[in-house]
Amino acid sequence: MKKETKIITKNWGQIDPNEIDDSIEVGGYQALEKFIHKMTPVLALEEIKLSGLCGRGGAGFPTGMKLESVQKEKSKEKYFICNLDESEPGTYKDRSIVDNDPHMLLEGVIIESLIVGARKAFVYVNGNYQRQIEILQRAVEQAQEKRILGEKILGSRYSLEVEIFAGAGAYICGEETALINSIEGNRGEPKSRPPFPTQVGLFGKPTAVNNAETVANIPWIISNGGKKYAAIGSKKSAGTKLFIVNGSVKNPDVFEAPLGTKLSDLIEKYAGGMQKGKNFWFAQVGGSSGRLVLEKDLVRKLEYDREAKVPLGSGAILVVDKTVDIHELLLSWMSFFHRESCGKCVPCREGTFRLWEIAKRLQDGQVSERDVAAIKDILWTLSNTTFCPLGKFAATAFGDAISNFQKEIYKLSR
Amino acid sequence: MRIKINTKEYEAKDGEMILDVCRRNGIQVPTLCSIPKFHEGVCRICMVENGGRLTTSCNVKASEGMEVVTESEDVSKARRINLELLWADHAGKCSTCKKNQRCELQNLAISQKIENFHFVPRKEEMTDSENLDLLKDNRSRVVVDDGNACLTRTTELCVECRRCINVCPTKELSFNHRAGDTVVGTAYEKSLDCIFCGQCVKNCPTGAITDKNDLTKIMIDLADLKKMAIALIDPAVLESVAFEHPEIDSRGKLISALKGIGFEKVFDLGFGMELALENMTQEIKKSSKNNLLLNHCPSFNLFVKKYYPQFAKNILTVAHPDELTADFLKTEFAKKEKINSEDLVVISLSSCVAKKKEKGKNLDYVITVRELGRIIRQKNLKLKDIKESDFSSGLAVKDEKIKSITRTGGMAEMLAKKLKVKYIVADGVSQIKNILRDLEKGRVETKIIEAMVCEGGCVNGGGQARKL
Ligand SMILES: Cc1cc2nc3c(=O)[nH]c(=O)nc-3n(C[C@H](O)[C@H](O)[C@H](O)COP(=O)(O)O)c2cc1C
Ligand code: SF4
Ligand code: SF4
Ligand code: SF4
Ligand code: FES
Repeated sequence: MKKETKIITKNWGQIDPNEIDDSIEVGGYQALEKFIHKMTPVLALEEIKLSGLCGRGGAGFPTGMKLESVQKEKSKEKYFICNLDESEPGTYKDRSIVDNDPHMLLEGVIIESLIVGARKAFVYVNGNYQRQIEILQRAVEQAQEKRILGEKILGSRYSLEVEIFAGAGAYICGEETALINSIEGNRGEPKSRPPFPTQVGLFGKPTAVNNAETVANIPWIISNGGKKYAAIGSKKSAGTKLFIVNGSVKNPDVFEAPLGTKLSDLIEKYAGGMQKGKNFWFAQVGGSSGRLVLEKDLVRKLEYDREAKVPLGSGAILVVDKTVDIHELLLSWMSFFHRESCGKCVPCREGTFRLWEIAKRLQDGQVSERDVAAIKDILWTLSNTTFCPLGKFAATAFGDAISNFQKEIYKLSR
Repeated sequence: MRIKINTKEYEAKDGEMILDVCRRNGIQVPTLCSIPKFHEGVCRICMVENGGRLTTSCNVKASEGMEVVTESEDVSKARRINLELLWADHAGKCSTCKKNQRCELQNLAISQKIENFHFVPRKEEMTDSENLDLLKDNRSRVVVDDGNACLTRTTELCVECRRCINVCPTKELSFNHRAGDTVVGTAYEKSLDCIFCGQCVKNCPTGAITDKNDLTKIMIDLADLKKMAIALIDPAVLESVAFEHPEIDSRGKLISALKGIGFEKVFDLGFGMELALENMTQEIKKSSKNNLLLNHCPSFNLFVKKYYPQFAKNILTVAHPDELTADFLKTEFAKKEKINSEDLVVISLSSCVAKKKEKGKNLDYVITVRELGRIIRQKNLKLKDIKESDFSSGLAVKDEKIKSITRTGGMAEMLAKKLKVKYIVADGVSQIKNILRDLEKGRVETKIIEAMVCEGGCVNGGGQARKL
């Protein structure tokens, strides 16, 4: 990790998150000044498009395209939302950004809002992140005092209000339409699309939603130019990414690494390799909704690529060794999803409940023939018929486990 | 625009859903949660393939060049699994359910040939010991609400389709809790205290929301030889009885069916309607007030009392046609027929659910079209070669025109003609809200205001049967 390019983590550990002056001293808000005094929203958007930046919230949608569609909308009222709902177990990259450099995030929020023409922005924070909510609130206050936020930002014609919105800590509220419902005061559940939020979003107005990590990349791109950003990372996927490596590794932590880094390198070089005496079994890449990667696939590059066999998702990696009981993992996945399904559609509400029920029986070695058939059916319907992607997420790891470790999973059954 | 469905091309209008195009052209697609105007897309039963990918058809707009397949291996698999999952979350006590044979879930299970149920029902009491063990912690919360005169709710039979949530004009119901704990209910699960329009009962596909009545007692009364059971037919019900029983496609056949289940006399509610019109005429004539609120929609009366109590004094006080008829029957008629009035059982067959709440003492029961259907099924009445009969004699209707009051505006028009006064009509709750708001601001000055909670009037009442 010595001479790696650092974009998001460059100030980590060097500044006090509660002091805006610390940030300013290391170059904070210079991108905003550049944007305001030397650029136009259209030019800034060009840089972001050039950079090749893709959304870090999981789907990897090109950020420039998203901002462009909102910028183009004629509506007078528009919104920008920074998605900091982060509520998958074992994922804490967005939280780390707030803990270490909240002003980089805020600067990104301001620039993106001004690019799309929003006068109000929300940072939607997982309700369990109390400390981070306080840090962000303080950051907003300090920015207001310095006239970086509010009316006539830095003496320009731009104005922006930023509201830190505490969610209820529901996983589904990270899905952008559910998030919008939640801010609007409705039940936290997804809406059908089209229309997409970029056209009909918060309060019916065009809205851009970006993951916090995506947002944190923006100041760097504005300062250094899109071309320079595009040169970092792999051919298919530009920039760096925060990876969280958890599980049976020596040094579990959040790391910034260029996109295209091999999974084996993340485990060996960044996370210090396997813990003593533990043998690698498989890794789950992309959080609870991530796929399982076996030893033979460790050489794969991690990048945003539609055809990738291992989607990167949020970038959380769980390393599992051979002493782990697969039944416990199955149950923990389903405990999570059967609790976090919003309950709106049949296959997800009932399917996750049933899988959870069966996962408990699997653990007790009580699984029956009819359960084996039911698992197949449920995984299929979750993957193919649910209202929103949460259903598909719930089936991913469970499905991979069933197809790869059938022997281990069913060996206890009668 | 043109879209391809199965092998043929069809014309689709702008904004039309795939399902609409299918239905218009007689292509069957099973649905559960979708009803006209509301396509929640939550049951995931109406799946079809679009360009080789599964999608719902009820809430996906048709677009140029679409290639839709309505039957395939994947399509039936999707429908089957989702139905099975739903079925397992349902108590499935069909034999004792009020909606037995009129249940959309049951019909789907039959039409989609659901035979194997892989899942342990979680809303049922199990007897099998193995299953009991499995059931230990899979029970789900069941909420029963029986605290009113009009309807009963039990989430045991709910399939979370949200139809009731969507059709309720005052938004009484919503999804409570999350995930597998989701139940449909009122805020804080308080007992329902609404305007009892009955639209939720009408639209619920299962037995989760049903009409409330003591049908057992009614059946005993009907069988009791000492008692004379009298039915009153609200003309509005003729719009929907055939949905319940296709054989009953005329007034004459309805009269025969009522006689067949034990009613001795069957009268036309038109008689009482004329009395009510006359009483209203008198009350309005006598009143010096303006902005009088006609009171023949019980749901509207409840609405005013609940949300605009300051105008409760503007509501007329005339008794409902059913009540007026019952009063007549239990006094003059009983005297003429030399029958003890206690031995008369007067039952109104109505399209209105709220009437159950505003029922007076002489009217014994108000039953809906659905309840009539249940009685006919329970009595196993054969309808195949049913003949036409006439109303019993004794209660004549002077002018058939009176029946226009079953549609919104009908009553006000008749009154206005008679009294030469100005009037305003409100159809449905959103118009009602507007008028009452205007009234509050003093922006309305008229003699009479007619308002019907069910859009279109009693012909679309909550007590009507739905076409399945
Ligand atoms: C079930 C579900 C949960 C999600 N949770 C999050 C989340 O916690 N944080 C996030 O940024 N995006 C989450 N997303 C993705 C968002 O819907 C959205 O795509 C994202 O915020 C867009 O930002 P990006 O383009 O910067 O990635 C979730 C999506 C789904 C379907
Ligand atoms: S798949 Fe369905 S139940 Fe699950 S979270 Fe999405 S909408 Fe809700
Ligand atoms: S009876 Fe009418 S007002 Fe009451 S809950 Fe049902 S739909 Fe709503
Ligand atoms: S009560 Fe009936 S209408 Fe309402 S959600 Fe349940 S099944 Fe659907
Ligand atoms: S009818 Fe289309 S999802 Fe329910």
